[in-house]
Amino acid sequence: MPNSSEKTFHALNFIKNLKSDLRVVSIISMVVFLTVWEAVVRVGFVTPLFLPAPSMVLEDGIRLYERGEIWLHVSASARRVLIGFALAGSIAVPLGILLGASKFLKAIADPLLSILRPLPSMAWIPLSLLWLGITETQKYSIVFMGSFAPTVLYTIEATRSIDPVLIRAALNLGASRMSLMREVILPGALQPIISGLKVMLGIAWTTVISAELVAADKGLGYLIMHGREFFRTEQVLLGMALISMTVMLIDIAFRSVEKKITPWTRG
Amino acid sequence: MAIPVIEIKKLTKIFETQKENVTALKNVDLTINKEEFVVLVGASGCGKTTLINTIAGFEKPTSGEVLLHGEPVTRIDPRCGMVFQQYALFDWKTVINNVDFGLKMKGMKFKERREIAQQYIDMVRLQGFENVYPAQLSGGMKQRVSLARALANNPEIMLLDEPFAALDAMTRQVLQEELIRIYRESQKTILFITHSIDEALLLSTRIAVMTSRPGSIKQFLDNDLPWPRDAAVQLLPRYLELKSAVWGTVQEEVMKTAGLLK
Repeated sequence: MPNSSEKTFHALNFIKNLKSDLRVVSIISMVVFLTVWEAVVRVGFVTPLFLPAPSMVLEDGIRLYERGEIWLHVSASARRVLIGFALAGSIAVPLGILLGASKFLKAIADPLLSILRPLPSMAWIPLSLLWLGITETQKYSIVFMGSFAPTVLYTIEATRSIDPVLIRAALNLGASRMSLMREVILPGALQPIISGLKVMLGIAWTTVISAELVAADKGLGYLIMHGREFFRTEQVLLGMALISMTVMLIDIAFRSVEKKITPWTRG
Repeated sequence: MAIPVIEIKKLTKIFETQKENVTALKNVDLTINKEEFVVLVGASGCGKTTLINTIAGFEKPTSGEVLLHGEPVTRIDPRCGMVFQQYALFDWKTVINNVDFGLKMKGMKFKERREIAQQYIDMVRLQGFENVYPAQLSGGMKQRVSLARALANNPEIMLLDEPFAALDAMTRQVLQEELIRIYRESQKTILFITHSIDEALLLSTRIAVMTSRPGSIKQFLDNDLPWPRDAAVQLLPRYLELKSAVWGTVQEEVMKTAGLLK
C-alpha cells in the first residue's frame, strides 16, 4: 500500500521526469523538422538549388572542413568581432562611466553622441572602404563604429541607474568621492554594463557579417556571398548555420564569464 | 543632566518643483539629548523622512537649522549612523564586507576590521552568513545586516527610518527586542521613525508626535514604561493610557489629512 509520503515522492519524481521529458520533446521536434525538410527535397517538391536538404548542407560542411576552410572562415569573422568589440568596449565603457558621473562632461559629449547613436553600423561601410580599403583594419573599424556609441550610452545609463539611497548610505558610512566610485558606483553599474555588452556583441556580429557580405575575401559573410555567386545554395545555408552556432557558443562563453565577474547575481 | 546632542531649531523645508512648492516641514523644534531614544510618530506623508534626512545631512534646510553638538550640519556626517527602510545594502558585497564597509572607509586594517565586523554579525545573530550575498537573505536578515553595518561604524547617534516597516510581525518583534537590547548595552542616542504607535511605546524613552503636512511636532510624551520592554509591557494600564494619548493626536492629524476634520 503506498502511503502519503511515497505519493509525494512519486509526484516529485514525476516533475523531475517531466523536465527531462521536455528536453526529449525538444529533440524530437528538431528531428521531425529536419526529417520533413529532408523529405520535401528528396521527394522533389523543391529543387535543391532553391532549398538544399540538410544532408546536402552537412555534406558541404564536411567537404569544407576537410579542406580546413570552416575554421578559416569562422575564425576570421570571430577575430574581427572580438578585436573590434574589445577596442570599442575598452574605450566606450570607461568613457561612459566618466560621462555618467559628470553632468558637465556629458553635456559636452551629448551632441556628438546623439548624432552617432541613430546611425546603423552598416552606414559606416562605404566610408570605411574609402578610408581603409578592403582590409582587416576596415572590418575592425566597422565593428568599432557600430558598437562604440551604443556602448557609451548603455554605460552612461548603467552608471546613473545606481539607487541614490546606496550613495547616501556609502557617504553616511564615511566614503570619500574616490571610494564612492570604486566601492559603489563601479560595482553597482557592472551588472547592467555587462548586460549592455551582451546586446552589443550581438550587434557586432550583425555588423561584421554585413561588412563581409559587401567586401571580403574570407569570413562567414564571405562564405555566404561566395555560395550565392556560384549558385551553391548549400554553402549559403552552411554559412548561415555556422553563424548561428558561433554566436551561440560565444554567448554561452560570455554568460559563464559574466557569472564569474558578478557572482552576487544568482537566479 | 541632559546634554543636547541634536538640536533642531525652526526647521522649515520646502521642496521646489516645477508645478508647485511643497512645504514638507514647517518650524520644527526638537532637541534630542544624549542617550535618549526618541521615537517620532506620524502618519505617512507628514515629513518624517525629510526630517531624518535633514539631520543626516542628505537634505539642506530651507530655513532654520540642525545642530550637532552645537555645530550646524553642513554635509553628510558619519557621526549619525543611518538605517534605511529599504536596507540599502551593497548587493555586490558579502554580508561581512557590507558590515565592515564603514571601518574600511576609516582606513582600518583588514584583520582588525574583520574582527569588529564579526562581533556585530554575532550581535545581530547572523553567524554563518558572513560570506553570503544580500540577494540570498530574507528581509529580516537584510535589516539585521544593515543594523550591524551602522553599529560597526560606532556612530554616536543612530538614525532609523522606519527600519521594520517592511517586515512581517514576528520578525519585527524579534528585531525590536534586539534593538532594545543594543540600546540598553551601548547607550547610544537614537532617533527612530515609525507610524506604529505600539512600536513607539515599546522602544522609546520619549515620543514626539508629528502633525500632518506641513510637518511639525505637535506633542511630546515621556515614555515612563518600565524596562525590560517585552511583550508583557503591552498589558500594563499605563501602556493603554499612553497609547490613547498618542492615538488621540495621531487620529486628529490623520483625519485632517483625509479631509474629514476642518
